[in-house]
Amino acid sequence: MKFYKPTSLPDLFRIVNDIEGKKYYLAGGTDINVQIKKDMIKDEPVIFINHLNELRGIFEVEDKIIIGCLTSFKDLLESILIKKHLPYLQKSLNAFASPLLQAMASLGGNLANGSPTADLTPPLLVLDAKLKILSRSKMRIIPLAEFYRGYKQFNLKHNELIGAIIISKQAEAGYDCFHRKIGSRKALTIAKIGLAGLKKAENGIIKDIKLAAGSLNEYPRRLIKLEEYLVGKSIDSLNFTDIEEILQKEITPISDLRSDKEYRWQVTVNLLETFLKN
Amino acid sequence: MKINFILNKEAVSIDVDPMKRLLDVLREDFGLMGSKEGCGEGECGLCTVIYDNKPVTSCILNAIHADNKEILTAEGVAEEPLGKLLIECFDETNAVQCGICFPGFLVSSYHYLLTDGEPVLEKIKTALSGNICRCTGYKKIFESVLLACQRKKSGEA
Repeated sequence: MKFYKPTSLPDLFRIVNDIEGKKYYLAGGTDINVQIKKDMIKDEPVIFINHLNELRGIFEVEDKIIIGCLTSFKDLLESILIKKHLPYLQKSLNAFASPLLQAMASLGGNLANGSPTADLTPPLLVLDAKLKILSRSKMRIIPLAEFYRGYKQFNLKHNELIGAIIISKQAEAGYDCFHRKIGSRKALTIAKIGLAGLKKAENGIIKDIKLAAGSLNEYPRRLIKLEEYLVGKSIDSLNFTDIEEILQKEITPISDLRSDKEYRWQVTVNLLETFLKN
Repeated sequence: MKINFILNKEAVSIDVDPMKRLLDVLREDFGLMGSKEGCGEGECGLCTVIYDNKPVTSCILNAIHADNKEILTAEGVAEEPLGKLLIECFDETNAVQCGICFPGFLVSSYHYLLTDGEPVLEKIKTALSGNICRCTGYKKIFESVLLACQRKKSGEA
């Protein structure tokens, strides 16, 4: 296993540019070391980035919160800025693993690992989070929703890195916010279902709604068709036959070691009902 | 690769594969057997150490993570006044059954006692939620940490 420890951010991109094939960035190590143990990573080069502090931190820039990719879940949980502007996001973080992992796991790593069950991706999706993607000479910004292309398939070139996550300070303002993770126990559990939603209603009519699901597709994603259907509907007279028909096109629950598809389907419908009716 | 760090309050230096698991460095290179391997995936907390002032699972850290950092293992915690207080309380409440999870619980409890220490059961449960006891002796473990918090607060330690 070839190992690199870049001396700076420019040095990192010089190293990255020279490696054409598959490679791994090592930040907190909480996912990569499990994959090494399971022989999912064998001889691919590993580039250590955890010491590059310019990729760490939570900043307020005009109307946005910028979160460096190396920022840990613990940093986010303890951040006064996040508490002030994005309390819903902060509360969602409690669903993640345990304090022992929250201390090491980075937000960028969690997104780049691309697990279908990633706990924070559904809340970030409904908050319309964007990714600042860096390479040696370029920077581009894309919506998080456009980052995933399939199971562990990303909109990311071989010489690129997620540099930061960008969220509008107003992303939660005025919304009823919802996030539920269904697992087998409270701490240290991998989600059977994750559902996040933001809703704005006026006089019982849904004016704006954002929904995202985890553990129900090859990657966490927004439920766009359902959102389009729900806008303008009266909360008291929602037609759940229609809702289930659209939901069926949006999610593909599977049976695996954690749960079965019938359970996943029914609980998702129940969660959706809870969120929509309250 | 040469790695320099502070281990249990002593400056150490070692030439090691930077990807070697920190847990293996502690056990094999430094003979510190308090940190155990359970799941090896960060889920059971048997290998908990204080790293950079935070409790973490050393089985999913690499040697490189230790470079220029400070690490306190269960052995180091046991030498601290608050560590001694905790051991005393675990002993009094008979909280240790088979014992394999104990070093991990000791480290997580020590960090809670040091940084917060409020004798509140729910907070203690959250602080210890990364440590698993397969004898399921949680009730007594929580009681012993609660006792240590109360003693610290009342100035007995």
